Amino acid sequence: MGGIKIFIGEILPYITLIVFLSGITHKILKWTKAAQGKMTLYPAASTPGDKWKRIVKEIFIFENLFKGNKPLWAGTWVFHVSIALILIGHVRVVTDFPLLWQVLRMGKEDVDTLSTTLGGAAGLVIFIMGIYLLVRRLAVQRVREISDKDDYLTLALILGIIITGDIMRFVTHFDLAQSREYFVALFTFKSVAVPGDPAFLLHFFLGQLLIIYIPFGKFLHIPGTFYSKSIIYQE
Amino acid sequence: MSEESVISQTDIEKAINSVKAIKDGPRALQLYMDICAKCGTCAEQCHVSRANPQRRTNPAARSDLIRKLYKQNGSILTKIRGLFNGQSNNLSPEDIETWVRDFYECSGCRRCAKFCPFGIDNSVITRKGRAIVHALGMSPKMMAQTQEMSDKFGNDEGQTYASFMNAVEFLESELQEEHGIPIKIPVDQEADILFVPASADLVSFPETQMGCATFFHAAGLSWTMSSEAFDGANFGLFTGDDAHMKRKNKLLHDACLKLKVKKLVIGECGHAYRIAKRIGGAFYWGGDIPYEITNIFIIAAEELARGKLRLDPNKNPEPVTYHDPCNFARSTGVIEEPRVLLRACTTDFREMTPNRDYNWCCGGGGGLAVMDSKEGVKKNEVTFLDYRMNVGGKMKLNQVKETGAKYLAAPCANCKRQLMQLMDYHKMDVRVGGVFDLFDKAVILDK
Repeated sequence: MGGIKIFIGEILPYITLIVFLSGITHKILKWTKAAQGKMTLYPAASTPGDKWKRIVKEIFIFENLFKGNKPLWAGTWVFHVSIALILIGHVRVVTDFPLLWQVLRMGKEDVDTLSTTLGGAAGLVIFIMGIYLLVRRLAVQRVREISDKDDYLTLALILGIIITGDIMRFVTHFDLAQSREYFVALFTFKSVAVPGDPAFLLHFFLGQLLIIYIPFGKFLHIPGTFYSKSIIYQE
Repeated sequence: MSEESVISQTDIEKAINSVKAIKDGPRALQLYMDICAKCGTCAEQCHVSRANPQRRTNPAARSDLIRKLYKQNGSILTKIRGLFNGQSNNLSPEDIETWVRDFYECSGCRRCAKFCPFGIDNSVITRKGRAIVHALGMSPKMMAQTQEMSDKFGNDEGQTYASFMNAVEFLESELQEEHGIPIKIPVDQEADILFVPASADLVSFPETQMGCATFFHAAGLSWTMSSEAFDGANFGLFTGDDAHMKRKNKLLHDACLKLKVKKLVIGECGHAYRIAKRIGGAFYWGGDIPYEITNIFIIAAEELARGKLRLDPNKNPEPVTYHDPCNFARSTGVIEEPRVLLRACTTDFREMTPNRDYNWCCGGGGGLAVMDSKEGVKKNEVTFLDYRMNVGGKMKLNQVKETGAKYLAAPCANCKRQLMQLMDYHKMDVRVGGVFDLFDKAVILDK
């Protein structure tokens, strides 16, 4: 157990950071440098500002998908919004904002209630949506016929992260003070006790696997969308 | 592919190397290899996939023919994902043979890109697949023949100077008969406008060509055709043969310079306009080309707005509907201009649903319209004619039925051929023609 803890908590994070940053930089440089002829899909955006407006709109409301497939749109939009909320919430895993709470006149208990309610709700919703995406992939013939092992693997990875996260939230009631202390030490290259909650270790491990996989797999749709939309929207 | 040709190991290596080269290829192709999340939305929005739902018609699955090969043979980054999926590294001769069928079952209409959450345009991958089979000398017979014909004669129909001039003379006498006044089709004269239709219009769709001539006459424009460049159609777009596409486009460019025109005006041919305006033009011949590239719908809509055209819509009282050719609506943005014209020329104009940039492909796009035989497979498969009539054209057929129209305007030689056959095949009482066919009837000329 001790060895695993040290690997996940004190060695892997640096590997994750290096692999993710170099992988994603490599991809983005490659895309940026690649030549591209005109292949506007009309009606086109008339100005660069207009183009970016459309891209941002796509990023926030998935307009294409809304027109193309309403049930998937509903499921995946809620899924992605939950991810966004949860990621914002995760800032508190690393640090806290006492000044902000002071300005908002919220005591520690108020903040915890907010975190429990919103975070808990998002944790449950994203679990349901993750299951929906998996069931859809298995049950809808047109989706199953194009699904590969990596489509299931990435979904399983995400579900693993969601479930371990929810366990910390609802079962082991993970104390954020531990993780804050740990991350400060990690960022300043000091050795400090890695939180021992097995759910935390597994969650942190899977989370890092996901980050490592971003430059290699379908998660490339995150940065790639900006590029691919840019190609077809610009005049 | 012809029965006797054999795919060698060298051919397979050539195909794999071509796929590998994507890693340094155009940005769009690189992205499309990387970012598809396999959500299945394209399968719902593709006319082929909807009409015949099975794995091979699923756009994402078709694109995977290339994508999977790329992942096994690409950079370390992409190999990792390839490893996860554990596909074998083999590309068999049979695989390449079926590529011919599979990449020609996609008409490259780009409708999927309108709905893909990441804007993936599967037609780019389709064209890559076609380019690979073309490089191996395996393009469908009609595709290869048309390109050969075009390289030899400068037009897809194999017309000579004499037969072109004959056609022009014939059309002029028809115009005289119809309108009672001489309407000229000037050839090889210095003028403001060089008009280039698809050469099929001169032979197969003469009413369209006549309508265009009448338009130039009615608007009082200075125009000419070129006996060396009267065909805007360009099968290089369909076969993925960039060199051919450029060669053919050069004929138009040279003619524009020779005749010192101010405008190159493309006729009722969507892909001709796409190549002239978006792919060729300034990109091939430099940003300082001394002529503007435009389309007959755009200038006709302008002339109409200026009040230079007198039209009597009562001459076309039957219900008319409009088919948006994919290369006009989605690839060049010519969407409202033909409608403006149609509304001015007819009394009962009806839209199909969906329309404009969301239209269903006619089923003949990407060069399919001229393909009738079996391709890419030796037996137990339907011909491309059957395929176009029963699968590719199914969504369009239903759309046309719903409008109740008696005239279907489709300003594209490929769409026209496909739709004429489709209406015949399904015994529909619908005439198919161009927009300018109707203009020719509605226009009021000064005598």
